[in-house]
Amino acid sequence: MKPRFWLALMALMGATPSMARAQPVVLSEAPLSSSVTVYRDDNRQQGRFNIGWLRGYALISEKRRISLPAGEAVVRFEGVADGMIAVSAVVTGLPGGVEEKNRDARLLSPASLLDGSLGNRVHIRRTDRVTGRTSETDAILRSGPDDGVVLETPDGVEALRCSGLPERLVYDGVPEGLSARPSFSIHTRSPQATEVEVTLTYLATGFDWGASYVATIAEDGRTLDLFAWLTVANGNGNGATFPSAHLLAVAGKPSRTSDFDALVARGSSPMLRLSCWPMGSTSTGGAPPAPPPPPPPAPMAAAAPMELAVTARRMDKAMYDAVAVQEDLGDLKLYRVPVPVDVVPNGQKQVAMIQRENVPFTTFYAGRLEPGDPGDASRPLVRTLRMQNKEQDGLGLPLPSGGLAVMRQRGGDELLLADTAMKDRAIGEKVEIAAGFSDQVRLTQTLLRDGDKEKRYRLVLSNATAGKAAAEIALPRLDGYDLKAMGMKDKDGGKAWLVAVPAHGEARLEIVYRRQ
Amino acid sequence: MPLHFTTAAMSALALLGMGLTGGAAAQTTDAGAPSAQGDVSVTIYNDNLALVQDVRQLNIANGISRIEFPDVSAQIRPETLSFSAPGAAIIEQNFDYDLLSPSKLMEKAVGQVVTIVRTNPATGAETREQAKVLAVNGGVVLQIGSRIEVLRDDGLPVRVIFDKVPANLRARPTLSVRVNSDRAGTRPASIRYLTPGLGWSADYVALFDAGKGTVDVQGWVTLTNDSGTTYSNANTLLVAGSVGQNAQPSYNRRMISPRPAPSRTLVSPGTETSGREQLGDFYLYPLAARTTIASNQTKQVSFLDVQGVPAQAGYEYANGWLASSDEAQSANSVVRFSTSASGGLGDALPAGTIRFYQRDASGSPQFTGENQLDHTPMGSQLSLSTGKAFDVKVQPVVEQRQKLSDTRWRTTMRYELTNARPDAVTIDLVQQGLDFAWADTRVAAESLKSERRNADAVVWHVPVPANGRTTVTATFETRY
Repeated sequence: MKPRFWLALMALMGATPSMARAQPVVLSEAPLSSSVTVYRDDNRQQGRFNIGWLRGYALISEKRRISLPAGEAVVRFEGVADGMIAVSAVVTGLPGGVEEKNRDARLLSPASLLDGSLGNRVHIRRTDRVTGRTSETDAILRSGPDDGVVLETPDGVEALRCSGLPERLVYDGVPEGLSARPSFSIHTRSPQATEVEVTLTYLATGFDWGASYVATIAEDGRTLDLFAWLTVANGNGNGATFPSAHLLAVAGKPSRTSDFDALVARGSSPMLRLSCWPMGSTSTGGAPPAPPPPPPPAPMAAAAPMELAVTARRMDKAMYDAVAVQEDLGDLKLYRVPVPVDVVPNGQKQVAMIQRENVPFTTFYAGRLEPGDPGDASRPLVRTLRMQNKEQDGLGLPLPSGGLAVMRQRGGDELLLADTAMKDRAIGEKVEIAAGFSDQVRLTQTLLRDGDKEKRYRLVLSNATAGKAAAEIALPRLDGYDLKAMGMKDKDGGKAWLVAVPAHGEARLEIVYRRQ
Repeated sequence: MPLHFTTAAMSALALLGMGLTGGAAAQTTDAGAPSAQGDVSVTIYNDNLALVQDVRQLNIANGISRIEFPDVSAQIRPETLSFSAPGAAIIEQNFDYDLLSPSKLMEKAVGQVVTIVRTNPATGAETREQAKVLAVNGGVVLQIGSRIEVLRDDGLPVRVIFDKVPANLRARPTLSVRVNSDRAGTRPASIRYLTPGLGWSADYVALFDAGKGTVDVQGWVTLTNDSGTTYSNANTLLVAGSVGQNAQPSYNRRMISPRPAPSRTLVSPGTETSGREQLGDFYLYPLAARTTIASNQTKQVSFLDVQGVPAQAGYEYANGWLASSDEAQSANSVVRFSTSASGGLGDALPAGTIRFYQRDASGSPQFTGENQLDHTPMGSQLSLSTGKAFDVKVQPVVEQRQKLSDTRWRTTMRYELTNARPDAVTIDLVQQGLDFAWADTRVAAESLKSERRNADAVVWHVPVPANGRTTVTATFETRY
C-alpha cells in the first residue's frame, strides 16, 4: 500500500509545470586550471595581516571543460570558493553565451528540512527507554519550524518533543531546491551538442596578502640587504583548493565601494526552535522552564595574532629559485609567481618577491617641536633609516607596503633591531623607515617665553652614543606667526633643523614664533 | 471545492492512512508540491519593492464563499492586495496570522477534553486517560475524572493528544477574501499586491584598454529575492528609478534624505533619450523570457553589451582647505567615458556597481577597482574613480598663512606633483573649501592658469612629464 502512494506522489511531482520545463543540468565539478590574483585589504595598517581575520579578496579565474547538450541547459559550477561574490562572476567561452546567472542559497538545515516538508507526510519514531524498541507512526507536519512543531497522527494532534519521550522525525527525502552550500549556475543555449572549455572568473573574499620585508644591516652599518616575501593567505574553508594555480598579487589601492560581505551572504540558515506549552509544575512555582537556548553560532576561530616567523638567514645567503615578477597593471602593480603553486584552504604561502643587496642607507634621529607642549622633559628620538628608491642607489623598484623586520649582523649572527612597516613607495621616492625609539639621543624642549608678540623655544639635543648622531627636528608652521631660527632647512614641505650632534655632546637652537 | 484540506478531511485521510488520491495530494501547497501560482508577472523597483500580479484559475462557488491564496510572498504587504474575478464581488479581505504552535494548541484546548498517554518508566506500558484542560497559565492544569493534576508534575513522560487543530490556527500567515459570486465555475481571478524582499540593481563589467583608449561594457541586472517565496515562470519587468517609500512602516528603513544626494560620478547629465520603454520618468527593463525567481536566489540577466566605447584614463586629486601633508599622497585613477549615442555607450544606465578590469601582460583580465553608478541618463559624461595610483602622487603643502588684517588672510599653497610612470600624465588638481561659512576666497596669484569650477573649488590641469615632477604654487586671499 505504502509504496503505491509514494509512486503516485512521485509521478505527480514529475508532472508539475516547473519540472516539465526543467532543462538538463550539466555539472562542472572542478577546474582544469586556475589563476588566483590576491588583493590587499586596504583598510588595514601597512604591517602584517591576521590570518584569523582576512579582509582582502581575490580574483579567481578557472578554466573548466564541460559537455553541453544541444539546446537549453543549466551549467552548475561546483568547487568554487566559499567567499565567491556571485554577482561579479563572468563566464566566457560558451557558444551560446550566458542567458542568466543564478546563485541559490536555500540551504539544507534542520529548520529548512522541516519547513520544506510542511503539510507533507513524515514519520515519527519513538524509542522505548526500557526495551529500546522503536515504534513508528506516520504524521503530517502542521506547523514549524519557528515556534515548535505540531503533528497530525492517526491518534490525533500532538506536539513534537513535549511528552518527555525520546521521539524523532524521519523524512522520506530532501525537499527540492535545498543544497549543502550556495550554488552557482548559468543558463545557456547551445546550437549543437559540444564539449567546450569555459572560463569562470569571479571575486572572492577571505584572502589577503602583504609584503614581508627583512632588511639586514651589514656589519659596517652603511649598507643593507633588502629582501621581501610575497605572503599570501587563503582563509576560505572548503572548496577553495586551487592546485597548481597561477598565483598573482596586486599592490596599490583599487577602490572598493560595494559591501563584499553582504554580497557573499552565505545563505540564511534559520534556527529550528522546538518550544512547548508552559511546563510549570507545582515544584517550580509556575515559572516554565525555558527550553535551552540554541547554541550560539561557533565563534570565529580565536583571532590569535599570528606572528610571522622570520627565518634567520644564515651568513651564507639563502637562494631563491622562484622570485615573483613585477609588471604594471594600469595604475597598480602586479606580481606574478613564475611557477604554478598550490593554493590550499586555510593556508598561508610565501614566495620571494624582492631581493636587493648592498643598498646604501643613512641613519638619522627624527623629532619634532611640539608648540602646544609646555613641559620640558626630554623625549627619545625616532631612529630612522633613509634610502633613495633609485636605480643608482641600489633600489629603483616599486616597494609595496608590508611588515618590515630590521636585522643587524653581529659576528655570524643576526639580531632584530626593529619590527616596523613599509608604506607603498614608488620609484624615485625616498624611503624613510622608523626603526624604534633611541633612548641615547634625546630632545629637550623648553618654552622660554609665551608672550603676546612672540613664543620663544629652546631645543637641546643630547647624544649619549660614542658616535656623531645626525638629527632632523621638524619645526611646524603656526597660523598667524612667522617662524625664525638659525640655519633652518626645507624638509618634507616644512622647515626643519638639521644638525650633527657630536659624540657625548649637545646641540642647541632657539626658535621664535613672531606674531604677524 | 476547497483550496486547502479542511482539518476534518486531513484527519480522515490521515486515519485512513493510505487513502490519499493523486488529486488530493496535488493540493498541498508547500515545497515539493506544485505551486498554486498562476500566470505571474513581477515588476521590481530598485528600492526593495515589487508589484506582483498573479492570474489564477479559480473555481468559485455560487453565492458567498471564502478563497484563500497560498503561495503569495511571505513578506506581502497585505493591505495592498487587490482581487478581481468576473462575476465575483468582494465582501472582505482578511490576513490571518494566528500561527499554530504547541502552546497555542494547548491554550485553545482550555475547557476541552484531550487524551493523555502515560508511559510506565519501568515496563514501557502505556495507559490512556481522558483529561479536561482547566487552565494554561505558566503550567497546564488538568482534571482527570475527579482529580486535579498538573501536567508532567512528576517529570515522567506524558503524551498529550488533541482531537483536532483548532480553526483559525495556521502554519503560515494566510491571505483570504470573502466574495459573493453570481455564478459557479472556474474563471481567471487576478490578484495584485506589493511586497518588499524583491529588489534589483545593475552590475557592470568594464574591460578597459588603456592602450587603445576603449572600454567594453557588459551590463547585468541583478535580482535578489529574499521575500521567502518562489515566483514560478514569471513575466519579469524591472523599473529603474525610485518610488518614494516614506509611508512604509519598516524597521530597517534607510534614512531618506529630503532631496536626493548629488551624484559624484556624473560630470554632466545627458539630454538624450534611450530607445528603451519608459513609464513616466522611469526606464523599464523587461526580461526577454519568462523566468523562475527562486526563494533566496540572486539572478543576473544580461541587458547591455557594448564593445569599443572610447574612454580615457586620467588622474584627479582633491585637496581639502588648508590640508597639508608631509609625504606625497596617491592621486585617484579615473576612467572617463560618455553614455551618448555618438561616441559613447548609447544607453541610459540603471544604478549599480561597475567593476573595471584591465588585461595583464599575459592577456588575462585583472580587476582594477570598482565604483558605484547612479541612474544615468543617456548622453552623460561619466568620470569614475577606480582607485589610487601607485606611481602618480601629489603632496600639498601650506607654505604660509599671513594675517593681512582682522578680516583678511593670505594663504600660500604649494603642490608637488610626481609621476613615476614611463609616460607623461595630466593630473586634475582640485583645491576645495574656498567657500565655507561666511568666508570668501579668491586666487590672488598662481603658477599655472586655474579654472574656477564653482564657488567652492578651483581646478588646475597639470601636465607632469614621464618620470618627472611639476610644482604648482598658488596664493589665496580670504575675506571673512
